[in-house]
Amino acid sequence: MNARALRLQAYPALLVGTGRQPLGFRGDLAELAQQDATQATLTALSLTAQALRFERPQAPPNFAIEPVVQDHRTILADRMRRPLLRLLNKRRPADDLALALAWAFDRYKVRPHPFDLPKMDAFVRAHAEHLGALAQQWAQQRDDSPAQPQGYFMADEMDETTWTRGLPGLRARFIAERRRQDATAARALVEAAWAQENADMRVRLIAALETGLHADDQPFLESLGKDRAPRVRALAQKFLARLTGRRSEHPALAACLERIKRTTTGLLKKRVVLTLELPATVKEHETKVWIREAFAEVSLEELAHALQLTEPQLVEATEKDANLSLALALMAAQDRRFELLEKLARGQLSDAWEQLSQLGTFDLGTMTAEERSRLAEVLIAPYGGKPPSSYSAWSWLHRTLEGPAPAPLIEAVLRSPRWLTQLLEESKLGSEWMEILAALCPSSHRVRLRAMMASLDAALTLTAAPLLDILDSMEKVGQS
Amino acid sequence: MSLSLEKVEALAPDQSSLDAARKLLKAGIWPVVASDGSGLIWGECQGSGATPYRVVVSESDAGYKCTCPSRKFPCKHSLALMWIRVEGKQTFVAAPVPAWVSDWLSRRRGPGTDGAGDSKGEKPKASIAAASSLTPPEESDPKAEARAAAARERNRLEREESVLSGLDDLDIWISDQVDRGMAGFAAQATQVCRVIAQRMVDAKVSGLATRLESLPARLFSMPESARPAAALEELGLLHLIAQAYRRQDKLPAELKADLRRAIGWSITRDALLADTSAIRVRGAWRVVAAFSEVQPDRLRRLETWLWLEKPPEANPNAPRFAALIDFVPVATGAASGGYSPGDRLQAELVFYPSVMPLRAQILQSLSGAQASDTQLDLPEQSLDDAYQCYERALCVQPWLGVWPLSIRNARLRRHESQLFLCDAGEAGSAIALPLQPSQLSDASPLLTLAKLDAVGLWDGYRLNLCWAQTELGRWVNV
Repeated sequence: MNARALRLQAYPALLVGTGRQPLGFRGDLAELAQQDATQATLTALSLTAQALRFERPQAPPNFAIEPVVQDHRTILADRMRRPLLRLLNKRRPADDLALALAWAFDRYKVRPHPFDLPKMDAFVRAHAEHLGALAQQWAQQRDDSPAQPQGYFMADEMDETTWTRGLPGLRARFIAERRRQDATAARALVEAAWAQENADMRVRLIAALETGLHADDQPFLESLGKDRAPRVRALAQKFLARLTGRRSEHPALAACLERIKRTTTGLLKKRVVLTLELPATVKEHETKVWIREAFAEVSLEELAHALQLTEPQLVEATEKDANLSLALALMAAQDRRFELLEKLARGQLSDAWEQLSQLGTFDLGTMTAEERSRLAEVLIAPYGGKPPSSYSAWSWLHRTLEGPAPAPLIEAVLRSPRWLTQLLEESKLGSEWMEILAALCPSSHRVRLRAMMASLDAALTLTAAPLLDILDSMEKVGQS
Repeated sequence: MSLSLEKVEALAPDQSSLDAARKLLKAGIWPVVASDGSGLIWGECQGSGATPYRVVVSESDAGYKCTCPSRKFPCKHSLALMWIRVEGKQTFVAAPVPAWVSDWLSRRRGPGTDGAGDSKGEKPKASIAAASSLTPPEESDPKAEARAAAARERNRLEREESVLSGLDDLDIWISDQVDRGMAGFAAQATQVCRVIAQRMVDAKVSGLATRLESLPARLFSMPESARPAAALEELGLLHLIAQAYRRQDKLPAELKADLRRAIGWSITRDALLADTSAIRVRGAWRVVAAFSEVQPDRLRRLETWLWLEKPPEANPNAPRFAALIDFVPVATGAASGGYSPGDRLQAELVFYPSVMPLRAQILQSLSGAQASDTQLDLPEQSLDDAYQCYERALCVQPWLGVWPLSIRNARLRRHESQLFLCDAGEAGSAIALPLQPSQLSDASPLLTLAKLDAVGLWDGYRLNLCWAQTELGRWVNV
């Protein structure tokens, strides 16, 4: 009796059941016949089981070929891996802390350790475009969407031959960057790829064309008048209006004008005064949402032209109306008209930072880091040494900047122990405050922020302290 | 210091305990935090009552004790004291060990007792010695001892009878299953296994009862096509154990010990320590895996797998792997044994008698567990060589369960949604060990590496990859 005999004779009967197919103790199994039938069956079972246990696991006929992904970024320092995983554990990817880490990975050109990708899967999936090529591949492997990219590149690694193969956000960033260098060549790239793009990508690409918008873009924009996607058509029309000065039908602008009441004031010198009349159905707490929805699609230039005012006159005319001033601030921020935004912030809208934060995060499109920083400087300036004590305002600023805040803001925090004391007294100070301060702190101020945090309760700085350590480490790696 | 935030997290019974501990990090509610400078810390935490709770933690093995009435182990106070220690923001005053800490130490069993006590010679010794020095020896009563011994022997004989009777019933049950066929066994496994497992519990065959209760879950974790063969193997094994038990007197002593443990006879720690023939190995051990699993009997099984860095010169054939296995009630909430993969500890281990010694107890801890980044010096052993070791072990212990494999020059490959550990050579190997399906995500970053050295646990069907040394550093299954 050997393993082969057991496999061939006993195994089939044991599978189907000896009641149906009795074990015939003949041939190689004959020696079992000396026992009684039940005992012989059990012995055959045991011997067959042992024979099976000695069968070696066989390799499958073939193995998958794994994609080779070149990721040139430096891997995060080993000693920071555990703190990173601990910070991201049970965090929502949209938390400020997670966002700060994702943007820092991108800013310092660092990537997570490949072994950690499964342990921070949600974070990687949400922020793959900031985390390097390998993270992109990881996220895509687990993504069920049919549109899989054929390659994994970061925006700064893309070129004219590979840009169509990256993630949508990175592709739009690449086109915006190319527009800054050579607007015509960038448009040519978009035109060549246009027919193959889906609606979402077409919207991203045409939005990227806003950078360096030029008269040469006019024919292409005109050709989009019959695009299937309404958002593409609307954006093309908006850009065309900006280029040609022709004011074609603009439903959003018309809706805004319907709500703006124009009067004049002054005895010797007549001045225009504009007021915003909110619809009766809009309740007080819905005002900000309504303003955002009504004015987000309108540019400052269009509104001024429609009201037959210059843009500075428009700002002056809204002096007495807080809601209309906020609407102008929104448009000025989106249109990168920082001089007008500054005028508003220094004048009637000194709390523009908090007011804008109540509108929610808005799309700053392809605004560069410098432009975002300038925007922040304009909003921060009126506060001087008394930053706001509303967490949502700070969170909004973080999401707008996608990186550290201008140094004067953190300087104000560090120089104003009263501000922190006040927060403590009002019991507003939680660990999330320390996190947002750490996320917004420029590297030059991290040592002082650490010193300040050391005086606070340990429970408040449990996550902020490791966040500072990780940011420091990333910066060091990025510089080397 | 061997405590770390990871360890605190691992020890915490649940998230709410950690959240509660976090609120206790304020210095103001800890009037006393002190340390003896050799791995023992204690503190007093002001709770809602008039008397503060007294908390003591042994850093070497994360042992703890608190006077609070919480039913969670460790409680929030113990977790908070460990956390404060790791954070390092509060100063632990160097102080002599107070009486209540000494008392805990003297009553404590386990590895930390000797290690902490022996290092300075200031603390009380392990429980037996301490107890004997503190309390006057009772006068022995020969008659009472004889009565107790007779009662023990009577109980043993009764259990032997009960076990044999239970094994007879098991054989009848297996015959019934074989009559129906293994092809359909998995479909009704939950129902039929529960009944016979209860019978085994009644017959005091707890080892087989646990196997039977967990059998349906094991079968359902396999692909449907593999279930009939797996059921056949398991039932065949159960009969083999039953038959071997009936003839145990003819077996060598070590194999008999293995067999009796498989049935459910346990060896107490004191008996193991008193066994002079048991293998003892002293050296530097590395933690290569730490698992926690809830058994059907509501006990949590805590497994810690150790690798001996260098066999002692006096005993070059000493076992290189050791498994520390503890059982704690699920209700206590303890979810971790206190060791993490990568930890290094100097200790003397005593192995349970076995033909293939694996399970052990820490006899003496010579140092606390310290996290270490150094690589393991694994022997030059290909996947094929490692598998042959497994086969040899299976030859001498046919009911072998999990077997540790150390492999050099391997690589991970994928076939459909299944990962396999193969030889790294260009020709590959005929043998490819499938990984646990649950490791698909965690282990997939290893797919891009051309070569790795690995440690895994093979259960005859799936490899639980525990440790991999690669050009990108160490990968561990956490």
